[in-house]
This record gives sequence, C-alpha cells and structure tokens, in this order.
Amino acid sequence: MSLRRVGILLSKEFRHGSKSFIFIIAIVMPLVLSFVLSMVFGTLFSEKPKLGVSDEGDSQITQMVIQSDSIIGREYDSADALRNAVEDGAVDMGIVLPADFDNLVIQGEMAEITAYVWGESLAKNRVVLGATVANMIRDVAGQEVPVEIATTTLGDAESIPWNNRLLPLIVLMAIVFGGIMVPATSLVDEKQKRTLSALAITPASLGEIFLSKGLVGVIVSTVMGVLILVLNQAFGAQTPLLIGMLVLGAVMASTFGIMLGVFAKDVTSLFATNKAIGILYYAPAFVYMFPDIPQWIGRIFPTYYVVQPVVEISQQGGTWSDVALEAFILIGLILIMIGIVGILARRTAQREALA
Amino acid sequence: MAGDAIVAEDLTYRYDELVAVDHISFKVAEGEILGFLGPNGAGKSTTVKVLTGQLQPREGQAIVLGIDIARDPEKVQAQIGVCFEITNLYEKMSAEENLKLFARLFGVPRFDAGALLARVGLAGRERDRVEEYSKGMKQRLMVARALVNRPRILFLDEPTDGLDPASAENIRKVILEERQRGATVFLTTHDMMEADKLSDRVGFINQGKIVALDTPHNLKQQYGKRALRAQVTSPDGGLESREITMDKPETAGAVQELFGREKVVTIHSEEASLEDIFINITGRGLTE
Repeated sequence: MSLRRVGILLSKEFRHGSKSFIFIIAIVMPLVLSFVLSMVFGTLFSEKPKLGVSDEGDSQITQMVIQSDSIIGREYDSADALRNAVEDGAVDMGIVLPADFDNLVIQGEMAEITAYVWGESLAKNRVVLGATVANMIRDVAGQEVPVEIATTTLGDAESIPWNNRLLPLIVLMAIVFGGIMVPATSLVDEKQKRTLSALAITPASLGEIFLSKGLVGVIVSTVMGVLILVLNQAFGAQTPLLIGMLVLGAVMASTFGIMLGVFAKDVTSLFATNKAIGILYYAPAFVYMFPDIPQWIGRIFPTYYVVQPVVEISQQGGTWSDVALEAFILIGLILIMIGIVGILARRTAQREALA
Repeated sequence: MAGDAIVAEDLTYRYDELVAVDHISFKVAEGEILGFLGPNGAGKSTTVKVLTGQLQPREGQAIVLGIDIARDPEKVQAQIGVCFEITNLYEKMSAEENLKLFARLFGVPRFDAGALLARVGLAGRERDRVEEYSKGMKQRLMVARALVNRPRILFLDEPTDGLDPASAENIRKVILEERQRGATVFLTTHDMMEADKLSDRVGFINQGKIVALDTPHNLKQQYGKRALRAQVTSPDGGLESREITMDKPETAGAVQELFGREKVVTIHSEEASLEDIFINITGRGLTE
C-alpha cells in the first residue's frame, strides 16, 4: 500500500470526479432539504434555548436574561402567562422570580424560584438554561447561594417536536447519500469505461484504488455532515466526539458504497439497487420520526448506529459513555464490511480482466 | 540477444469449461518483437492478460523479466507497458492529463507528456479532451500511455486495428523505435502484413495452443509455397495463366520450357503470406 499512489488517485477523483452529477447532488441535496425543512418547521435541529421570565419584583436577572447572547430571553407579565407560554412550547423553560429575590440572594438567604419546563424541550436546552440561571444568580449574589427551585413539567414530556424528529433523516441524507453513491458511481463508471483495467496494470493495487474512492466518499460525507450541523447550529459541547462519530458514519457509508460499486454491473443497475434498498438506509430515521413505532426496530438497521450517536450528542448533550456502545457496534460493522471488500477486490480484478 | 524477457511454461487458463490457453510454452528474448497471431477467440488476449498479471494462470507459470507474474504482479507491472485492445482512456481528461496521471502512478520523474504525444503524432492536441478525439487518435494515445514508464516489455493488443494507413504506420514506427531502445515487444495482431514486417518471430495460436513459432522467413520456408505466376497468350488470342512451383529441381527446366513454348505476357514471383501458412497449418482462416 503506497500512500503516494493513494494521494495521486485521490487527487484525480477530486479533480475529475467532482464534476459528476452524483457528486454535485451529494452536496446540494442535503443543503436544499435542510433549507426547505427550515422554512417549513422553523430553524431545524436546535436554535438557542428559550427562557421565559415572570418577575414579581425588579430583579437584575430579568435584564440579564433578556440581554443574554447565549439564550433567547422573553419577559412575561404574569406567572400565568409564563405558564401558558411554556405549556405551548413558546419557551423551553420559564422561571417566576419572587419580588425580593435579589435581596434574598445578596444576603445569602434561601430563595425560592418556581420553574416551568416544557415537556418536549430538548434535554440539552434544559441543561443550558439551568446552568445559565445558576450563573446569573451567582453573579447577582456575588457568591454561591442556596436557591430552591420548584419545577413543574408542562405539556407532553414523551413527545418529540417535528423539527427534531426530522433531524436523523437530514443527518443520514447528508452522510449516507454522498458516502455511498460517490464512491459507488465512481467505481462503476471506471468498470464500465474499463479504465479500472488500465489502472490495475499500473503499480497501483486494487486496494489503493478502492481506498482512494472510499476516501472521497468519507471526505464528502463528513464535510456534508459537519456543514449540516453547523448550518443548523447543532454542534454541542462535544465537538470532537461529534466529528469523530460523523467520520465513523462516513467510513461505514463509503465502505458500503465500494461494496455496491463492486457488485453493480453498470450505473443503471447501481441506481436500481440503490432505489430498491435505499429505504433501508433511512429506516432508522423513519422509526425515530414516528414514536408510536417500537423504537427497538431502528436498531436492526446498520445506519441506526450512524445517526443515533449524532442525535444523542447534538440534541441530548450526550457524552462518550452515552454513545460508546453504538460506536463500537459501528466500528464492528465497518470492519466486517472492509473484510468483505477485501475478498471482493480479488474477484473484481479477475472479473475485470475477463470482461 | 540477452536473456529471456518472457518464459511461459505449460501456461493454461480456463474460463469455466472452456480452455482458452492450453498448456502453451514459449520464450521471448529481450529486445525481440514477437508477433502473436490467431483468429478471434484463439487465446491471444487471454495470453496477454495472463502475462501481464491481469489473470492468474490455472496451470503452468509465466516468468516475466525474471519474476513469476502470478506471485508478484505489481513488480512486473511497474516495468511493462500494456496497450489494450479496447479503448480505456479517461475521456473527460485531456491527453496530457491521461499520460501525466499514469506517469505519476508509475513514479516517472520529469515526465515530458508533450514529447511522447509528439512521437505518436498528437502534437498540438495535448490539451484537448480525449472524448473529442477520433478513434485513431485515441488508439495512438493508448500506445503513448503504454510507453510512459519506458517499459522493458511492451504488450500491444491489436494496436493498429481500425487505424487509417498513416496512423498505423506511425504506430509501427514507434514499435520499431521501442525495439531499437531495447524494449521487448509482444504484439498481437490480425494484420499479417504488419506481423510479417515488424516481428522477429511469429507465433500462431489456435484453439488455445501454439501451432507454430518461428521467424516469418522460416515459417514460409517450412509451410509456404513459392511460385512463379505467368500470363501467356492462348491460341485464340486470349490470356491464360501458368504456375510454376519454385524451390524444386525441375523449376529451372519448367521456366525454360515456358519461355520456349509460350508467348509470355507477364510473369511474377509469388510468396506465401502468413495467412496462407496459418490456413495451411490449421485449416482455418485468421479472420474466422
């Protein structure tokens, strides 16, 4: 295996393959879809967490909430109005500040806040809002103070908002389509035009050729995954972990793309196969979209292990321990597929020569 | 001549039940041009594919440049050039880009694509996309691509097939230049004149077996029939043909008798072609 030759082939793929229809579609489609869904459902994934405040006195915290850059703050005239807003999902969380709240905390006395939490709000948003409120209280008091928060959850705690239900679909489209179809079409095209035979006669091995094509898929897929998350402000605190999971997902998609490319006789049969099994790529996203379907069904599909960690990290504030199992299963699937590609590579060489 | 560039021993390749190459053995010396002739399906291209490491022999072995091709194909492939029968260029790239890509894969330092393209008569069209090329231009580019690494062995599978006479002559000139440089050339072709003109030796393959392998001269001597063909005036004033077989003790007498008895209008010698010899040996034509 020569990295120099892989680099040469990779540069050829980017210089000449990037003009292909599939390459362009792989980049444009997720962006268009993301844009359209943003228009329909408002900002996809997660916009800034929204905090409502009902101030019975004249607390500095109210102004701090309104002026904060990290959250969206809204002030309500009464506790009832705030409660209604939370119940409707207009804000993720609402707090009712008692009249003498600032004095109590400055004196270091026990203060009490009533908090309403929208049942459908993201766990990530709740964590951010909780931490923000705690910081603000500490800033006002100048010290750590005991505050008792009486929390009431409003709305359907089991339900997931539609914009969030669509998250796995968008992520899968960004990762899977480019990851699978870019290397698959490139490989099939080389088979059809017999340029693969010409390459196979050079010192470049079939493994190097496959690797270069797979890397193009991994790069396109990862960049698109990152781009979609960035555009939708869905990067949480675990950026390296999130990118790592996107890369793993991209590797799995590209390896599968190479397998498809090896099996497919021509571009027509590749598209027919892709059409026939394409629903399986996105099945976990559809299962997630409809919570009434038993969610364990999603785990049957390999792409579940691509999308679930991404959703977990970006939406639920998940950490490595939350996604480790999925990550290991994903790595296992990738290794199995690489093994299959290795076996197929030898057969492909012979089949190409026989063509 | 130096050592052997190619040694095939009992080489066999089967497509399922069909034996495409059937226990063939031959050697090609370094710097030699071997013409490999046979009709479609005789096993020519399969032999090339085995010798270039594209196919693994089912039996026997091929030693190319001293290396067992089945064991270390990459090492052999780094030192050979292959011109395929079917065009397989990157059509969206220019000719220059095609050559540079392969030169980089072969690790050729300071590669001059322009000079190589000029050699095959494509000067001035270096930057045109290959898809805009005619068939002949593509074929010449295929030959150029096979030369990017200054190969020690050049495998050419029907390199002049379908070319106009000028393009074909250009390719033949390049082949002879390569031999001059010291390269060995393994040439499969349908064109008997071409094989006769270029090859040091020719091998006939039929139904997977080598049925004859020698210099064109020796093959003609061994299997061919040389004759004198004359046209004489017939008693009614028309023309009649006479044929005198050469290389026989009575040939001289027969010629004397012809000129003594008949009024000879034209006379010329006729030499057996490689195609005649192939038919003579196998009972079938090369274009069948």
